Amino acid sequence: MMGVRTASASVWALGLALALLIPLFGTPMMIDVAFRICSLVALAVSWNLMASAGLISLGHSAFFGLGAYAAILTANLAGAPFWLTLVVSLASGALLGSGIALITGRMRGIYFAITTLAMSEGLRVIAVMLPDLTGGAKGAYLASKSFPGATYINFAMGAVAVGTCLIAWALSRSRYHFAFRAMRANEHASQMLGIYPLKYRVAITAISGSLASLAGGVEVWHGGYLDPALAFDLHITITSQIAPILGGLYTLSGPVLGAIATILLGDATRISLGHIQGASLLVFGMVLVVCVLYLPQGIRGGLSDFFRRRSANAAPSGVSTRPADVARP
Amino acid sequence: MSALLKLENLKVGYGQSVILQDVSLSVNEGEIVCLLGANGAGKTTTTRAVSGLLTPWSGEVRFAGADIAAVPAHKRVDLGICLAPEGRQVFPNFTVHENLLLGSYSGAARPHRAKKFDEVYGLFPRLAERRSQAAGLMSGGEQQMLAIGRALMGCPRLLVLDEPSLGLAPKIIMDVYEAVATIAKRGLSILFVEQNVQAALTIAHRGYVLANGRIAVSGTSAELKNAAHVQEAFLGKKISLSATGEVKPGSVATSTH
Amino acid sequence: MDILPQAISDAVLLAGLYTLMAVGLSLGFGVLRIINFAQGEMIMLGAYGAFWLFTLLGVDPLISLPVLVIAGFALGWVIFSGFIAKVLDAPHINQILLTFGLGLAIQHIAIILWTGNARSTQPAYATSSSLIGDVLVVHGRLVAFAVAVVMVVALIAWLRWSETGLATRAVAENRGAATLMGIDTRKIYALSFGVSCALSAATGVVVSFILTITPFVGFPMLVKAIAIVILGGLGSITGTVIGAVVLAFGETFASYYIPDGSGWAEGIAFVLIIGILILSPRGIRGQAVETQ
Repeated sequence: MMGVRTASASVWALGLALALLIPLFGTPMMIDVAFRICSLVALAVSWNLMASAGLISLGHSAFFGLGAYAAILTANLAGAPFWLTLVVSLASGALLGSGIALITGRMRGIYFAITTLAMSEGLRVIAVMLPDLTGGAKGAYLASKSFPGATYINFAMGAVAVGTCLIAWALSRSRYHFAFRAMRANEHASQMLGIYPLKYRVAITAISGSLASLAGGVEVWHGGYLDPALAFDLHITITSQIAPILGGLYTLSGPVLGAIATILLGDATRISLGHIQGASLLVFGMVLVVCVLYLPQGIRGGLSDFFRRRSANAAPSGVSTRPADVARP
Repeated sequence: MSALLKLENLKVGYGQSVILQDVSLSVNEGEIVCLLGANGAGKTTTTRAVSGLLTPWSGEVRFAGADIAAVPAHKRVDLGICLAPEGRQVFPNFTVHENLLLGSYSGAARPHRAKKFDEVYGLFPRLAERRSQAAGLMSGGEQQMLAIGRALMGCPRLLVLDEPSLGLAPKIIMDVYEAVATIAKRGLSILFVEQNVQAALTIAHRGYVLANGRIAVSGTSAELKNAAHVQEAFLGKKISLSATGEVKPGSVATSTH
Repeated sequence: MDILPQAISDAVLLAGLYTLMAVGLSLGFGVLRIINFAQGEMIMLGAYGAFWLFTLLGVDPLISLPVLVIAGFALGWVIFSGFIAKVLDAPHINQILLTFGLGLAIQHIAIILWTGNARSTQPAYATSSSLIGDVLVVHGRLVAFAVAVVMVVALIAWLRWSETGLATRAVAENRGAATLMGIDTRKIYALSFGVSCALSAATGVVVSFILTITPFVGFPMLVKAIAIVILGGLGSITGTVIGAVVLAFGETFASYYIPDGSGWAEGIAFVLIIGILILSPRGIRGQAVETQ
């Protein structure tokens, strides 16, 4: 046990160190990869938090895109500085998350999934249909008088990634943790009625939604341009799901490992099959299917089994539902 | 008489919990056998294991001499095992007639459908009167008759009934049991599980008492009518037989029937 | 000139198409309790099937319809047995992600094989039209409506009167009790999924001469189908028809009466989903929403 604890603590420390050092000393390529990894970490942890409470988001790009638009609009229309636009992004995500949670009330998770799906499409349509506000399908450029340096923005994304992990860790230690586990188990059993108050659902979707939106906000400062297709790209939705599933659902390190793996997998696909449009998402689709059917615990589960030499667990087939996993580092 | 149904050392559970530890019982051809037990003793678990809805963790289910562990639930109807399940579980949005029709869905039963309809409607005239009524709108007693009739439509050799008296008024219970006795007289073997000891023993030839996942007591119905046996069976807890003959664990023993 | 009769005519014809589009999803959910997130891609495949048969072999879509319906059924059976069957008893997240992943993979296989270029079949009736009073009726739309009516009526008849249809409804109502009747629920599931995909294939064939198709055409259709079945109540065919009518009228009237409406029309489904969930989760008919 001690061996694993020390190992995982040092891995976290390494990650933190990289997040701090790469923006300062890394090569442009390293910075680019690290930036995308950090963005996906935030999205993956966010998706994982919702999933931990039994809520499957099939439209995570809705949060990301909303956060991006919130940032760009506040910057362009209100001249807000960098950090303020991020606060607005955060708030927009919290609002959207709470809204979805309130709309779906205590309904089964499938309705949550459907609502997020509809949201990602609906928000995209709205963005296209309001060109006066958003620039419509043509998009808009970020026009800010107070543009912080690129390094600053890179640090910001690193901070977002680190912050997201800290928040997930804090939640796993709080009393919310039990409520979420129960909500997830409840979803499977579908037996009890109204035991778990709406407030937990609203809390988790607000928190995780805000994190995903925050990533979107930082991203738009990084890219400097936004249009509906970019903001609500299917790619974002897919990778937000793939990363935690690949890495290990309901764990703390799973989404991080999965984010790294997903970015690398995506890049590898793009390099080797890049001339074939659609190859990377095809690969992701297949990864999703394979993981659901054959790799219930993702990479994280594989590592954990390797270190602890545990024999096959009697958990139900498919994605791991072991409650004990939630708080593992 | 050869044993039509034989459960040997059955161990069955759900998830992590064991319900039946070690259950052995048998039903011979032409017999009416009852399995008695308090709430949660595992009566429904037993019927589900017999009908194939549950797979035993260990032990054997033998039907007509053969081990039927490999036979999936939907094929057991063809073998001749038909269950009227716990809570009746009639199809609420189907009519009485459609429910019965579904009962004879299996390959073995379909050719005899017309004959079976006559038999079931003859046995339960109330069902005949209500043949076009939605099953969900019927009373508990009528639904129970429908459930039994539906099981009969499958041309069973062994009819399994799960708590046929549950939630029914005493008069209706008698009607149901009368029908069961009539069915048995026509040569059908019957296994039924019950909480209501008194009612059960009026028609059963033999009985078993299930407690703590094991068979605590078994014997002919005459032997079982001796309340002391049944009392002790529930693990030393003193039992009183209520006016309706129900077994209630945990209450102080009073004079019994 | 009053556009109301035109709007109504368009909406009615569209409602037929939408019913066909959504009824497969409804059946899949009613029987298997799974929302097939790859439904849109099934429709897309049907459309491309019609397109290639038309372009390469000159087969009229109406002729290729029965062929593709059967192919759709077979594909559905295979997909069920190979993938869906494995997650029938798994947690919902597995089921959701599996069909979602399948849809994603199929969509991108289509992109790779056939590129993102817009296609359509062009039988004569796709563009010819008649003027009935003040109302212009495009023949293609009328044909689509007729196909939809035929297929939905056939479905209802099958469910109501055939032995397997009865068994299917029984499985949808109570899987355990159905098993006790001797019904092989696995087979019924495969059958239902197959039928659901067959209906999607038919939708695709029809779509091929009404709209232009790309590999991306599946997703918006999925969202609309979901809106329809939620509105009408998951698992109820009558409800699906009602939902289809509401969506069709909503979209059509939006595009006629709201300035810039055709863009907004695409968002109607989204509004409906949110609206129904807020106001009445049960939908108009159908199963109650289980709560936590």
